[in-house]
Amino acid sequence: MKTEKLFPVTVVGSWPRPKWLLDALKLKRKGAISQEEFDSIADEAVLLAIKYQEDAGVEILSDGEQRRDNFYSFVADKIKGIELKTVAEIVDLVPDKTRFEAILRRLDVPSYSIRNPVVVSKLEIGKKGIARDEASFLKSHTNRKTKVPLPGPYLLTRASWVLGISDKYYKSREELGFEIARLIREEILALRNIGVDFVQLDEPVLTEVVYGDQVQQTFMCAALFSRENPRDELEFAVELINEAVKGISGIKLGVHVCRGNWTKKEEVLLKGDYVPLMPFLAETKVNQLVLEFATPRAGDVEVLKDYLGEKEIGFGVVNPRNDIVESPSEIVNRVERILRFVDAKKVYLNPDCGFGTFAEAPVATSKIAFDKLRAMRIASDELRKRYGES
Amino acid sequence: MSSPSQEIINGLDINKLKELLKEAEKNKDFVARITKWTALVRWLGEGFNFKSYIRNHSFLISEPADLGGPDTSPNAVEYVLAALGACYATGFVLNASKRGVKIKNLEIALEGELDNILVFLGLSNEGHPGYKKIKAKLYVDAEADEKTIKEIWEETVRTSPVGHTLTRTVEIVPEIKITE
Repeated sequence: MKTEKLFPVTVVGSWPRPKWLLDALKLKRKGAISQEEFDSIADEAVLLAIKYQEDAGVEILSDGEQRRDNFYSFVADKIKGIELKTVAEIVDLVPDKTRFEAILRRLDVPSYSIRNPVVVSKLEIGKKGIARDEASFLKSHTNRKTKVPLPGPYLLTRASWVLGISDKYYKSREELGFEIARLIREEILALRNIGVDFVQLDEPVLTEVVYGDQVQQTFMCAALFSRENPRDELEFAVELINEAVKGISGIKLGVHVCRGNWTKKEEVLLKGDYVPLMPFLAETKVNQLVLEFATPRAGDVEVLKDYLGEKEIGFGVVNPRNDIVESPSEIVNRVERILRFVDAKKVYLNPDCGFGTFAEAPVATSKIAFDKLRAMRIASDELRKRYGES
Repeated sequence: MSSPSQEIINGLDINKLKELLKEAEKNKDFVARITKWTALVRWLGEGFNFKSYIRNHSFLISEPADLGGPDTSPNAVEYVLAALGACYATGFVLNASKRGVKIKNLEIALEGELDNILVFLGLSNEGHPGYKKIKAKLYVDAEADEKTIKEIWEETVRTSPVGHTLTRTVEIVPEIKITE
């Protein structure tokens, strides 16, 4: 891979979808239009997302996850053996219904409106791959470097294992986890062969493992499974991530962790620093940790000092949920705080999370998202002036 | 399978529903039969464990561990919430079906707050131990415009037997007969 300039500007993944794409997504769900018809509409939306990112000066860009309804449940269209089921359909199988009902109440949604990917038979990646179709289209429409976010193996295992359904095909959650890790590994290799530069494994529920008590719990994708011992869960997550990336070279690999990105109300999202997570994240065999730090809920950056090691940091420098656009000087100051203990060569600039994690509940408009990326670009240019180009 | 003359909406046979409404209009015996309801609650002999018998049905009632119970079933105040929710849900299906509105999904989330639980525990005389407020939120996906759906909901709330039982003063007649 070519040597990067210092402080590359990149994204976490999602971009707010245009209304006409959301309309098409609804029609696809109802079966009123075919997958092919939807894809041709989504192609146009991806081109817009690329254009916004290129114009803002993003150097490693994504397709804005425009084809996905959210960052993980789209796999039901891509992996045979995973089906979207409404929570109403599986609620009787949920072990901890009290906690589950509290989550629905907190999210102010009925159980029939939440669709969750559930393992309903043996798994096999379909012919489009998990994201190979997305990556091919992206690669053919930009000359810039590309990033493809994939749901991490722990997230997918945790979301899709439903005792009473999935255990007919996999003896245990562990067995399913390693099968999912194998499929993700297969996908990463295929994406590398297409020429994707960066694959990011999204593992947001790791923060839920540490901070999500019954009242605070906010991740619906983690809601179906009862909370276990956090240490065991984190060790399991690290094992799965390392299995998925084992021996892979020639592509940058990252893990993204955040504390929820479904609402602009910061007070209802998870809160807590990375201290309990870092010993585990440090054990992952990836090149980069993509972490949110613009929100005060994520705690202090000092935590990176002891645990980052050889890894790069995908440094969250803007908050996608806040309409106030951070100034470039503010971003420069944030970056300079970590340069006291992190080598400049290891610092990438990204927002804390996507701008449209859930298709129908984007946390930013395209205009604000663009302005935030632009501020990051200007900050990166300033940092390059101060610390050299590469 | 429905015959050509059958009109089924929301799983209800509309002709039968109309017959039922006609019957209620003219048959006093029928109205008397659907006016009075009964239930029997029996203590199961140990702790906060009870069983209710209603017609040919039965269900358990207990208390959560926090209140010294075995937590094997909902408690009585929770059944009140469920009864209200079920009454609203039943009314909504009835009223929507009468108007020919198809319902795809319906859920009601309820949350009740007791005025002062300490009265029940014998630790206070202030206020009362009953619910002071119950929030009932309808989530519905139905084939009608927003105005119609809101009208159906308003009609449902206005005509709910359990809702009225809770909002109006009910004359409760406590009696006792000591047995051997």
